[in-house]
Amino acid sequence: MTTPNTTTGAGTPPVTTKDLFAENPRWCAGCGDFGILASLKKFLIERQLRPEMTVNISGIGCSSRAPNYFNTYGAHSIHGRAIPVALGVALARPDLNLFVHSGDGDAMSIGGNHLLHGINKNFKCVFLMYDNEIYALTKNQTSPTTRKGHPTFTQPQGSFLNPLNPLTVVLGLGASFVASSADWIPDHLTDTIKAGFDHPGFAFIHIAQRCTHFDAGNFDHKTSDWFSFLKHANGIEPDKRLANKAELVNHDPSDMGTAFKLAASDRRYFGLFYQDRNKPRYDQVLRDLVANAPKKDRAKLLDAYNI
Amino acid sequence: MSVEKRSVTRFELLMDAGFGAQKAGDILLAAFVAMGEYVYVEPMIPAEISPPIRTPFALSGIIIRLADFDITNIGNDTDLILASHEVVLDRRLNDREYNKKCTILLDTGDREKSPATYDAVLKRCADEGLAVTLFDIDAPSKEILGEISGKGRNLFYLGMLSYIYSMDEAIVKDEIENALGKKFNPELKTKNISLYHNGYQLAKGLGLVRYKVEASPRQGEKILIDGNTSLSMGIIDAGFKLFSGYPITPASSVMHNLARELPSYGGCVHQAEDEIAAIGVAIGAYYSGVPAITATSGPGLSLKQEFIGYAQSAEIPLVVIDVQRGGPSTGMPTKTEQSDLTPAVFGSHGDHTKVVISVSNVIDCFYAPHLARYLTEKLRVPVIIMSDFQTANSYKVITKPKIVNMNNVDEIPDFILERFHIRRLPDNIEMVRLNQSLPGTPGQMRRVTGLNTNAQGQITTSSASSQRGHQVRNEKVHHVRRALTTPELFGPAANDILVVGWGSTRGALEEAIGLAEKQGIKASGMHLRVVYPLPLSLKDVFAKYKKIVTVEVAYGDGLKPSPLALLLRSETLADIKPLIAEATGRPVRPKVILERIKEALQ
Repeated sequence: MTTPNTTTGAGTPPVTTKDLFAENPRWCAGCGDFGILASLKKFLIERQLRPEMTVNISGIGCSSRAPNYFNTYGAHSIHGRAIPVALGVALARPDLNLFVHSGDGDAMSIGGNHLLHGINKNFKCVFLMYDNEIYALTKNQTSPTTRKGHPTFTQPQGSFLNPLNPLTVVLGLGASFVASSADWIPDHLTDTIKAGFDHPGFAFIHIAQRCTHFDAGNFDHKTSDWFSFLKHANGIEPDKRLANKAELVNHDPSDMGTAFKLAASDRRYFGLFYQDRNKPRYDQVLRDLVANAPKKDRAKLLDAYNI
Repeated sequence: MSVEKRSVTRFELLMDAGFGAQKAGDILLAAFVAMGEYVYVEPMIPAEISPPIRTPFALSGIIIRLADFDITNIGNDTDLILASHEVVLDRRLNDREYNKKCTILLDTGDREKSPATYDAVLKRCADEGLAVTLFDIDAPSKEILGEISGKGRNLFYLGMLSYIYSMDEAIVKDEIENALGKKFNPELKTKNISLYHNGYQLAKGLGLVRYKVEASPRQGEKILIDGNTSLSMGIIDAGFKLFSGYPITPASSVMHNLARELPSYGGCVHQAEDEIAAIGVAIGAYYSGVPAITATSGPGLSLKQEFIGYAQSAEIPLVVIDVQRGGPSTGMPTKTEQSDLTPAVFGSHGDHTKVVISVSNVIDCFYAPHLARYLTEKLRVPVIIMSDFQTANSYKVITKPKIVNMNNVDEIPDFILERFHIRRLPDNIEMVRLNQSLPGTPGQMRRVTGLNTNAQGQITTSSASSQRGHQVRNEKVHHVRRALTTPELFGPAANDILVVGWGSTRGALEEAIGLAEKQGIKASGMHLRVVYPLPLSLKDVFAKYKKIVTVEVAYGDGLKPSPLALLLRSETLADIKPLIAEATGRPVRPKVILERIKEALQ
């Protein structure tokens, strides 16, 4: 296999929405995934990332169909395993811009082990967790983030347990970038993706995502009194449209203690919880190892075994 | 004492794990090789690290077959056993791999601990007609052993074996020094050398028969290497740049070798969080254009199956190594078996379109990665390389393989294709998706998926696209079917019986057919390196034999065909039955194959 020409796009026409169109998404009308798709496309255009240099990797689920809807490179892989595939891409081709798309079941349930290790390895990617708090593509089963008491086909009496909190989970795992946004606040979501993309490591972005079909009540996108925006010079700008409606909370993203308290509270916060730009990156460690290894000649490969 | 010349002989050293039997084996091996003799070594390793001593589970030993000719397998029966106590001896006698005239040397150092069991084992030996020579480590050596907490017995025994096998003491001492290393405490080194010397003298004093295997000098450049190391070096030579794995016996040493070596050749090793992640990383890398490979054993193969299916559907090249061990489930991690054939060929849900190749010896191990990379990149179907515990751990002197330095798969030399009995594939092989561009290629952006797609790569559930996808994927495997030539044959192309084997049974099979020919028994052998698909000519080849049977280290019985028999039956409709289908964890022996051939022909 030959390594393709990795043009930076200099001298080529600018990337437009049309260039990124692959096909019309096959999501339900009113699905929050449309908003996430639009915000990521908006970012790709703002940043003028060449479509051939972008790779979207996903697992399985409604949200994991996303790579099929970007005219970039992409791999729609198997349930829960987007992170290993993405790490393979990151190790093989650090020149590519890597986005990982995963739902709450995909990331927190079947793929939980990989999330743990992706975060620990801190390889360079933007990880978008689409959290609609339900298994939707398999039609209405309780997920790790389904709220207690919410009835589903598998727990019709109402979901039995308190949900896992993805933010405290990933903060506890030592994530180097933890942010939260929502599908219906496009400016904030785009800014969050931007901050994640500029982060030198594994950028975990939690996205509250509406599921009109199976749980129309999961997030109230019409009111803004139930959430606050985190605000800081080193953080993410509160959403322009809602900044004067929702509460703004000052939070320094280098403050892990407060980040954890905010993430663990009953109130919902959108913004940058935590960022550590200095956490070592596994992909970089491996590349440095290869770069610094004493070079050997394949012609002499077996000489050490001579008798 | 007299020195008896032998063309071939086999002996064993049996000890408790943790006392250096394997180290003694390494030294013996290196010394025999330095003396110009042909050696085949098989370690016996417990499934645990250091099980309680003086228990059957603690057996750690080494079987060494010595010859004046190039040997392909561990052989038949043992002629001499040196055991550190009665428990390990008793355990090993249960395997019934000893010669009727087998000499047993038993250390009586533990006799006081358990006189009754010693007597019981001695009685067993007497009942079975085995001559036992008892010995006791001499007092000065016991004193040294006391000072170094017993860890040094292996060198004492090494000294005894050196005397018995007429080894050059200077050569052995050199190898001991090499094994201990330059940084080894000089005082301890002197003690160890003394133990070696004392063992040598003790054997001399016992008046034991000495043996000598005299080999003629070797021609050409030779190397000494084991199966997994050869496989690791082959991976580098074939141009793989990423190895992704998860620790599992007996595949781990491939990862160990590559972790040490691959960075120096521009590649890296990724130790994944689990077996599934290991194969996922390899798939991600190959999707991006970097040749990647993963290695595992039985339980890991099961965990990888969903991703193996994904690679078929998404048309991403992928090479998986399965170093087989005893199964099912966790089975016997340190014993050999060939039962993964069916999961390798038929595993993963839905239709199966993959290629399964096998290695029969350490030379195959070196070239299998080249062939696997060639096939997977040409066809974009997963290729599985099947090895096993026996091949992985067998050390052998081989003619130094030719370095290929493969960068592009079209560079694969004919001799590798011929070795695996396959011709070059046609240039233009149809893919399910017309566009197979690599990330970074402008204007050719594409998405891959495990879902059914049309030729344009769009997800669809249309009947026509599903049927076409199956047809195109299967046609890729048919290309291999058509490219396969007649598999390797031992003996005439028409005969009373044909014994078919695959993978590591090759050496024993070849030797058994050679013995049969000498005895005028009309038996031929066939060995398969590519095990799936099978050549189209197979039915015609089989038609020339009155009876066709298989030899497998896998279970089968009158009601259930063993894996290879099952596969051959389904492909040829011939009434193929297993001649040997035993999952004992022990390699198949040439003598046993010959006996069964005789029975089958009666």
